[in-house]
Amino acid sequence: MSAMFEQRLADAIGAENVKTAPEDLAVYSFDAYSEGKLPAAVVIPSGTREVSAIVKIARELGEPVIARGAGTGLCGGAVSVDGGGVVISFARMHRLLELDAANRRARVQPGLVNLHLSQQVAGAKLFYAPDPASQRSSTIGGNIATNAGGPHCLSYGTTVNHVLALEIVDESGEVFTTDVDDAGYDLTAVLVGSEGTLGIVTSAWVRLLRLPESTRVWLAAFPDIESASEAVSAIIGAGIVPTALEMMDSVIVKAVEEAFHAGYPTDAAAVLLIENAGFEDEMDTYEAALREIAKRHGSLSWRAARTAAERDALWAGRKGAVGALGRVAPNYYTQDVTVPRSVLPKALHAVEIAARENDLVVGNVFHAGDGNLHPLLAYDKRDRRQVGAVLSTGDAILHAAIELGGTISGEHGVGYEKREAMTRVYSTDDLATMARVRDVFDPQRTLNPEKIFPAGTRCVEVSPPVRRGEHSAS
Amino acid sequence: MSADELCSLLRQCSDDGTKVTVVGGNTLRGMGFPPSGDELGLETSALKRIVSYSPADLTVGVQAGCTLKSLASRLKREGQFVPFDAPKTGEATVGGTLAAGWLGPRRHRYGRPRDLIIGSVIALADGTLAHAGGMVVKNVAGYDMSRLYVGSFGTLGVLVQANLKTLPLAQTARAFLAPLPEGTRSRAMAQVRALAVEPSAALWIDGFEKEIPGEPGAEGRLFILLESSDALLERATRDLRSAIGRAGVPETRIIDARARDMLDGIIDAYVSTVADRSMTYRIACLPDRSEVCVLGARDLVRRFALDADAIADIMNGDVIVRASRLETRDLPLKLQVLDDALHQAEPRARIIAGDHPSRAAFNVWGNDPPAIARMRALKSRFDPHSTLNPGRFIGGI
Ligand SMILES: Cc1cc2nc3c(=O)[nH]c(=O)nc-3n(C[C@H](O)[C@H](O)[C@H](O)COP(=O)(O)OP(=O)(O)OC[C@H]3O[C@@H](n4cnc5c(N)ncnc54)[C@H](O)[C@@H]3O)c2cc1C
Repeated sequence: MSAMFEQRLADAIGAENVKTAPEDLAVYSFDAYSEGKLPAAVVIPSGTREVSAIVKIARELGEPVIARGAGTGLCGGAVSVDGGGVVISFARMHRLLELDAANRRARVQPGLVNLHLSQQVAGAKLFYAPDPASQRSSTIGGNIATNAGGPHCLSYGTTVNHVLALEIVDESGEVFTTDVDDAGYDLTAVLVGSEGTLGIVTSAWVRLLRLPESTRVWLAAFPDIESASEAVSAIIGAGIVPTALEMMDSVIVKAVEEAFHAGYPTDAAAVLLIENAGFEDEMDTYEAALREIAKRHGSLSWRAARTAAERDALWAGRKGAVGALGRVAPNYYTQDVTVPRSVLPKALHAVEIAARENDLVVGNVFHAGDGNLHPLLAYDKRDRRQVGAVLSTGDAILHAAIELGGTISGEHGVGYEKREAMTRVYSTDDLATMARVRDVFDPQRTLNPEKIFPAGTRCVEVSPPVRRGEHSAS
Repeated sequence: MSADELCSLLRQCSDDGTKVTVVGGNTLRGMGFPPSGDELGLETSALKRIVSYSPADLTVGVQAGCTLKSLASRLKREGQFVPFDAPKTGEATVGGTLAAGWLGPRRHRYGRPRDLIIGSVIALADGTLAHAGGMVVKNVAGYDMSRLYVGSFGTLGVLVQANLKTLPLAQTARAFLAPLPEGTRSRAMAQVRALAVEPSAALWIDGFEKEIPGEPGAEGRLFILLESSDALLERATRDLRSAIGRAGVPETRIIDARARDMLDGIIDAYVSTVADRSMTYRIACLPDRSEVCVLGARDLVRRFALDADAIADIMNGDVIVRASRLETRDLPLKLQVLDDALHQAEPRARIIAGDHPSRAAFNVWGNDPPAIARMRALKSRFDPHSTLNPGRFIGGI
């Protein structure tokens, strides 16, 4: 990095907020999926104006810009692939700016940690519904950029359903705003989930929900994974959409029990964790219907958590499941695919076969109600055979999901990891259509390049310049 | 017409400069700038199949020309629905409703149509047939193009197919109608918003006496739709009655038979016109502002010696205001001045009904949003020759 570049960044946001020493950059060179290369600089702005200044400087000097939240991403989205570039960390932009309890919404900065938002609005008896399992550390900005899901998105919908308005810094450093109630195109809808390639989120209005009056959590154990997944299909098929419907297999259950003593039955091959948030008046009937379906599919046991402490214990196991797998192997790879819910049994079967053929241990912990699978492949990265086995198992799972009418990512995103796999679900025309949007928002490919689109996707047509002179909200 | 034929027609039009206007059920023809008349009218009515419906997956793939009613009746057989909540379901098409970005009164509970779309097939102006999303309920493989098409008013492409999430119908539905005596409206609206068991729809109706049943009180009437499990219905009913009772509303009529149809009837009223002597606006505002917004808009309308009918969506904040007058000579002029005055107060007011010629001169979409330049750029990247619905959308798009 040139001294001039560093100086200009330092002038814009203060030298203490610009990092260029390799030892300082190292922690920003990977996310929860991969290790990338060292960026040229990491900058930590305090507000929208500084973000805008940073983008202007980077663009002038031809450096790409990569937005970064907590770095919990699972597709290499927040890392520099080829080395270089300016990583913008939102660690200092972590505030709840405004709470409008009457209209159940809040304006937040992108660096606000997901769970902190719910904690800060709990006093108004509200909460923020999308709850990725990483919610203790992942940020609202990262969640918006990946359209994050979570256990409770089954009934509440994913992040996109909860974003009302955005403030964005574009590839040239200009600020613009979008609002779902604005006339014209729903730009909010396409910005959410665009993984930092269309603009940088500098603040957002998000929707809040009222805390439920009554919540119950149930745990059903099954003798095999097929019957558990058939029970899931049957629950959805019966028109019952609980607030959350999660599944864990025996590998996960055992790891979780050892780590947390959550009270999961370790003799079961699979458990379903089911939550319904609503009203006491209807809970008994609701429970009876679920229990009946579970029984019909051969459930071994049924447990109900009624107190907050019991519920938290059951959820602690689920939310800590990935971490608990650390007991099984030093490393793990999380695959993320979605299939139509009625083919869950087939998809899980395919996962099992793929892992067995490659001689790998696989643990399944996932958003079953949405058909969103997360096979965790345990391995040791020092063993080259195992690394190869993980790659081919991951690929076989992708293949199976697509064959079953599913897709290559349900919630973790495409990032760098799956950019080449995009051609397996979309035609060249489909991808070129997406690229038209990119042409408008980021014609020079300044923002998070090397992500989402397969290498070499370029449009033949010359893109029209974005007209300037819009008024911004900052 | 098949999707392929549609694509080659569009390609041809793009090449030879023919402009195209896309027509669904024509039920929302009062929205947008009127077509100039020189366009080729392209009807989607031949594309009306339900392509795939998997009740156990709660998903349906449906062609754009399918009417809302035929989709709804197929889904109802499986105890499911898609909450479009759009008017005139017998004629309105899935494609037209999505393209118009129609928003109904149950969306706080069930989501906006754009929240329910999971995949799409669209014919672009240059004849490209583009697919997006798929048939799964969670999908982050690339940009969410399908949601971008919702509300794009047919200016980015012609929707051929939409894949949607379906929802299970609640066990029961119960409607409530209550006349609002003097001095009760504000409190009643606040009480309804605070209910623990949220109504699926809650509307304050002022006027619309020909279109919507129920005796009005001095401050109009309240319509509420509860949808719940059988087990919850009694409690929800009790809570609702005592809440509005506390607001000073003495009587509520309960309607159990065809409660949902009643909501459909009210939604029809949103776009009902008074001969061709009316203009109806929709104003998006925050829920806690909706009452003030209605009162302000109503006063304005009356200041021009026009009749005002209004609906406030208590849960979502939308306001519907209709200005009309049967026996006045200078109606077009009055409406024009009203249009200006209304946008001074409510920049987001947009016209949703009132199909008369002078509309072309009005601010039909409301003031330009902050990101209008990007919207124009998007349009020219998708439809560089402005073939599709030219000039009918906001900001000259
Ligand atoms: C244990 C574990 C459990 C997880 N569980 C879930 C889960 O249940 N559901 C789920 O969806 N994901 C889950 N994830 C994945 C990850 O947590 C999510 O993708 C999360 O949304 C990333 O947030 P982050 O703040 O860490 O973003 P980062 O990883 O820092 O960045 C993710 C992407 O967002 C972009 N970005 C970040 N901030 C901005 C901004 N302000 N403007 C524009 N772009 C930005 C980055 O460029 C990058 O492309 C899990 C991860 C782990 C490690």
